[in-house]
Amino acid sequence: MLTEFLRWLVNSPWSHAMNAAEWVFPTVQSFHFAGFAISIGTIAIVDFRILGWGRSRFTPAELARDLMWWTSAGIAIMLITGFLMFSTDAVGYHNNPAFEFKMVCLTLAILFHYTLHRQAVGAATPGVVAKLAAVASLVLWTTVVASGRMIAFI
Amino acid sequence: MTISSILDWIQGSALSVAIREGGLPYPVIGGLHLLSIAWFGGMLLLVDLRLLGLAMTTRPVSDIWAMAQPWKRVGFVVVVVTGFLLTWAEPIRLYESPSFWIKMTLFALVGVHALIFHSSVYAQPEKLDEGITPKAKLAATLSLILWFGLILSGRLIAFDDSFDR
Repeated sequence: MLTEFLRWLVNSPWSHAMNAAEWVFPTVQSFHFAGFAISIGTIAIVDFRILGWGRSRFTPAELARDLMWWTSAGIAIMLITGFLMFSTDAVGYHNNPAFEFKMVCLTLAILFHYTLHRQAVGAATPGVVAKLAAVASLVLWTTVVASGRMIAFI
Repeated sequence: MTISSILDWIQGSALSVAIREGGLPYPVIGGLHLLSIAWFGGMLLLVDLRLLGLAMTTRPVSDIWAMAQPWKRVGFVVVVVTGFLLTWAEPIRLYESPSFWIKMTLFALVGVHALIFHSSVYAQPEKLDEGITPKAKLAATLSLILWFGLILSGRLIAFDDSFDR
């Protein structure tokens, strides 16, 4: 069932479009990078603020509210371009341990971001729990990027 | 001393061999290079988007600048140092890569961009609190184009072999 779906993805029109010319895949991948630069960069700046690093007149909650749209837009770009790249070799990626690990971390990171992390950010004065959430967020997103890089080496 | 002998010397140096053939160092340095894009590329985007009036428009430019600038500096250092190490590991392949030279040209243009815009735009963010000048918008637009071009040409290096030459 899963394998059939993965094969269907590989033969999908968008998968063919990704392979239509050599420049398409690296271009989509560059948008993937830009997408996670926007999302993870805006998440990191809030996390750094919770941890009290760097000077800023903003509270974490203000920052997060102002950046919310950009964080979500970045995540959306990242997911769409990631799905397109996955489609070109769905079976191969599925069998890649680095990719599997990345997907687990990504799911956790996204769930965490929109639930516990959001609560931690809202705290008026960041306490230990909020700081732990900021560290967890930085570690999760860092692991997502690092394991993404490992896909090519496994 | 020819270029080819310089490339051979770099390729044969202990550091180059250690990164290229050491197993873990290459993906770890590559990962850090990518992570610095994620951690700090976003801050660069944020400043440029603010200058273009697209993000955080209710906050003064100088506040955004004060917040993002130190992180942008750290990010720039990490991305350049890791990029240098990755280049040092594969000088011969990169010397022959058109994408690599496009990337280096864009990197040089980042320097030109700083020479032109640093003192007149980025060094005086308080001035921009009163209103964003067309020059600042031009600087932000060019900066976004340059950095996306750097990501794209960097990514294309890995795909050089798939292009007909």
